[in-house]
Amino acid sequence: MIGPRHLLRIQCIGCVARFLGTPVQRLILPAGTHLQTPGSQHNYGQLLRPLHCSAVCSTSRPSQTRLEKTVEDETLNKDKSLVTHDDLFERAARDSKTKADFNRVVDVFNKKDIRRRGHVEFIYAALKKMPQFGVERDIAVYNKLLDVFPKEVFVPRNFIQRMFNHYPRQQECGVQLLEQMENYGIMPNVETKVLLAQIFGEKSHPMRKYQRIMYWFPKFKHANPFPVPHVLLSDPVELARFSLTRIADDLDAKITIYQYPSTDITETGEEVMRPHILGIQSPDQRSLLAKHNPCRPVFVEGPFPLWLRKTCVHYYLLRADPIPPEEKVEEEFDPEMIGPEQSLFYPQRVELDLERDMGDDFSFDVDNVEEGPVYAMCMAGQGDQATLSQWISGLQETCPILGQIPTVFRLESGPRELQTSSDAQQTPEQEVEMEQIIEEEPLHSQRVKQ
Amino acid sequence: MNLNKLIVLSRSVKLGRNVFAARDCLHHFQSRRSIRSSARSLAYAKDLFLGKVNKAEVFPYPEISNEELEEINQLVQPVEKFFNEDVDSMKIDHEAVIPPETLNGLKELGLFGIQIPEEYGGLGLSNTMYARLGEITSLDGAIAVTLAAHQAIGLKGILIAGNDAQKAKYLPKLATGENVAAFCLTEPGSGSDAASIQTRATLTEDGKHFLLNGTKFWISNGGWADIMTVFARTEVVDKDGQKKDKITAFIVERAFGGVTSGKPEDKLGIRGSNTCEVTFEDTKVPIENVIGEVGGGFKVAMNILNNGRFSMGSAGAGMIKRLIELTSEYACTRKQFNRSLSEFGMIQDKFATMTLNAFVMESMAYLTAGMMDRPGVPDCSLEAAMVKVFSSEGSWICVSEALQVLGGLGFTKNYPYERYLRDCRILQIFEGTNEILRMYIALTGMQYAGKILTGKIKELKKGNVGVVFEILGKKLKDSVVRTVDFGLTGKDGVVHPSLTESAKMFEQNAAHFGSTVESLLYRYGKTIVEEQLVLKKVADVLINLYAMTAVLSRSSRSISIGLRNHDHEVLLTNTFCKDAHFKNNYLLTQLQKNSPENNDANIKKIAQDVLAKRAYICSHPLDRTF
Repeated sequence: MIGPRHLLRIQCIGCVARFLGTPVQRLILPAGTHLQTPGSQHNYGQLLRPLHCSAVCSTSRPSQTRLEKTVEDETLNKDKSLVTHDDLFERAARDSKTKADFNRVVDVFNKKDIRRRGHVEFIYAALKKMPQFGVERDIAVYNKLLDVFPKEVFVPRNFIQRMFNHYPRQQECGVQLLEQMENYGIMPNVETKVLLAQIFGEKSHPMRKYQRIMYWFPKFKHANPFPVPHVLLSDPVELARFSLTRIADDLDAKITIYQYPSTDITETGEEVMRPHILGIQSPDQRSLLAKHNPCRPVFVEGPFPLWLRKTCVHYYLLRADPIPPEEKVEEEFDPEMIGPEQSLFYPQRVELDLERDMGDDFSFDVDNVEEGPVYAMCMAGQGDQATLSQWISGLQETCPILGQIPTVFRLESGPRELQTSSDAQQTPEQEVEMEQIIEEEPLHSQRVKQ
Repeated sequence: MNLNKLIVLSRSVKLGRNVFAARDCLHHFQSRRSIRSSARSLAYAKDLFLGKVNKAEVFPYPEISNEELEEINQLVQPVEKFFNEDVDSMKIDHEAVIPPETLNGLKELGLFGIQIPEEYGGLGLSNTMYARLGEITSLDGAIAVTLAAHQAIGLKGILIAGNDAQKAKYLPKLATGENVAAFCLTEPGSGSDAASIQTRATLTEDGKHFLLNGTKFWISNGGWADIMTVFARTEVVDKDGQKKDKITAFIVERAFGGVTSGKPEDKLGIRGSNTCEVTFEDTKVPIENVIGEVGGGFKVAMNILNNGRFSMGSAGAGMIKRLIELTSEYACTRKQFNRSLSEFGMIQDKFATMTLNAFVMESMAYLTAGMMDRPGVPDCSLEAAMVKVFSSEGSWICVSEALQVLGGLGFTKNYPYERYLRDCRILQIFEGTNEILRMYIALTGMQYAGKILTGKIKELKKGNVGVVFEILGKKLKDSVVRTVDFGLTGKDGVVHPSLTESAKMFEQNAAHFGSTVESLLYRYGKTIVEEQLVLKKVADVLINLYAMTAVLSRSSRSISIGLRNHDHEVLLTNTFCKDAHFKNNYLLTQLQKNSPENNDANIKKIAQDVLAKRAYICSHPLDRTF
């Protein structure tokens, strides 16, 4: 990134400008930054803009003229409607909604009017539409949106302006943009800072917001010891592998792929889907299973949900009821071998009639709930009994005792198929929920600001 | 045992809650203890746990008779000559095998039967003399280990627990080296885990043989041993009529059939010694080859190991003494900055370290050997374990320092230092790792002290006012008067007056140690087993105390009989005692409750964090979050 250098340069300009007062800017800037046209004072920000916009693609498309026209229409009708910019996005990208489309809309808006009339409304509308275009996690897009603000105009120039809330609506809009970034967990970068400094000045509300985000975000970046990637693996086998290792938090646990997904064509010409079956079992579980009393049944239960961000996957358990106390066998050791006075293997107990002193007993009184052992876990492409019994027969290879134990399938009629991430994201309920969250944000951020 | 009676007695006396009864019972304990200490109990180290110094055990320093001394000197000379002239350690190390002519030379010198009685064709030497020979054999690690595997553990079982028929049958050939012995205990699954010995011996139907099946690991001499002491599980019917698996020791000849040896292991050090896997497959062992009784093998194994460890002290000392000769030659001739190396303080420091270590090891080894040679059935396992721990760690430090004196030269294969360094690394691992031995040392003592102190601690916990006052009073008195006197110095003292200061330091530590043990028992009770870091410190203090005892005793004797350079010994003793005293003070402070010096909780936490992830979990210093 060349950001830091920009920042430095711009800050220098800022300093000089502050010292010398506005009229001088025109004299200094062209020389200092090699800008082509010394424009009006209002143009100051725009002159610098190419620096920041360079990364953003501004491809001209055949539809551009049409779009520009719509935009012009919109500006003409501006007084009539408040939600015009929403429509702009809708109309601009009826068929496809991609990052490029989004950028195009922003470009068009930028080019349409040198004064950027209605930019606050536009930014609000754009923020709202971001999830639909799938750009809500893209820092470049946020920066591009921020770039819509005219530069230098909202920077307070004297102490009175600085004292009062200078251009409150614009500042609030800037805060709102940062707030949305925050909610999606996007960390602003140096470019964001440069833009904010240009737009609102060093001590504005958005700058403060930026600083707060930069204080807390790095601190919390690794707060979750079990991170889930934003983009999940698309291969169901790999996804199942990831999910199973996540649940079975045992480094010794081994994943076995009992069946890869495949499609067979039978003699009659039918296509038969063979779902994937992945199981996980740790050595401890295996030895527990080997000790299982064959008279007691084991259960295959499920599906149980596991949420990975917005994706839900399902897994199945092989478990048994807790061992009744009368059947528990205490493993006996030869007292000669573990007792005192032996140096071959160190003494593992001393024969004393003394308990630990209360002052040195830091253990908690924990009421342990006895649960039955879980012997193995699996994830499969299908949750029917036939598929799962394939898993059980696969397990028998390592645990032959399983062949003698009655296996009971207790399957609930849950979702039988694995939900992919795209399925999950497009369920209407969730989308509504998400929008609600975003809509609530302005209130929330106002509260925080005060 | 007299100790058990004590416990029974103390229980039978119903301890009253009132002051007078409590004082009474305290008197009971004290009077009984004083009776005990006057009786000969052969338990010096264990008594230290009670804060008692059983000075009769360790003072004066054990001596051997003039005849024995002459005999050993006659023996030592040819052995020394043989090792200096006929043993090519570099070649042994490089080719990873001891040449047959070297082995024959060792056999001719009788080194394969040092401790086998003369009636069976051995040299019949005592532990002390065995230790003396160990000083020389240790000049080559591979030979020392081969010899030790043969006689310190391999045939020791027959020697200490075998019956006359077994001895007559096997010992003569073993003594001459015609047959080589090995000790087969460790198994693939059982490093230090008792429950997992899998080798099994099943009685045949005619009841005359055992069929042996299983695999043994890390067997020294495993590739060429003819006679093996093998430990295996056998089914034994115990007194309740239940069948149980017990360990039994067998003498197994390779000629019995079904014995196969694996490929020799390629090792870091002691490369000339033969270490390999031995597999038994339906090996038919006659029932008369059981050592001791069926099911009693574990005791045999323990006895063999417990008493074999002391010789590591003299072996280490022998090696360091040689290294001092070699390196001092270099340090005095090598010039740097127009001064010889020997003039530099930091080099001098290294020589002092080596000398101190050698001196202490030697003193400990011969003190222990002397105790073991006393008539009766001495239990010196604790002392032997301490010698082993101290000398294995001391050797490692000293060899490393010796190598450092030579700098880069020491790191090359042109000099023997790197070989010594590699060879002596095994000392901390075999014959019971130092960790296990520390646990053994600390827990055995804790068990011993606990049995005696339980009654008193229980009274204290019950809040018996009398006992509490008594103890408070004692502490107050200790803090005011601050004189601990075990009678080492003074009128009937056993320590020479020129060592008074060191002896006082030792006494102070010993008393402090006794009270620390008591408070540890009070705090942890039987859960002390789980406090490994505490036990490690306890073991370290005890090892230091025993080392101090050994040097005090040795130099007192040296001064008294006027041995050559005894003033140097006094210097060494005072230096070591001062050093050990402050180390002990620090360790004992760490053992106090809520001591700020104690970092154990953090240490545990670090390890747990790392082990949970099985990796170093810190972020890289160059990582960023934004």
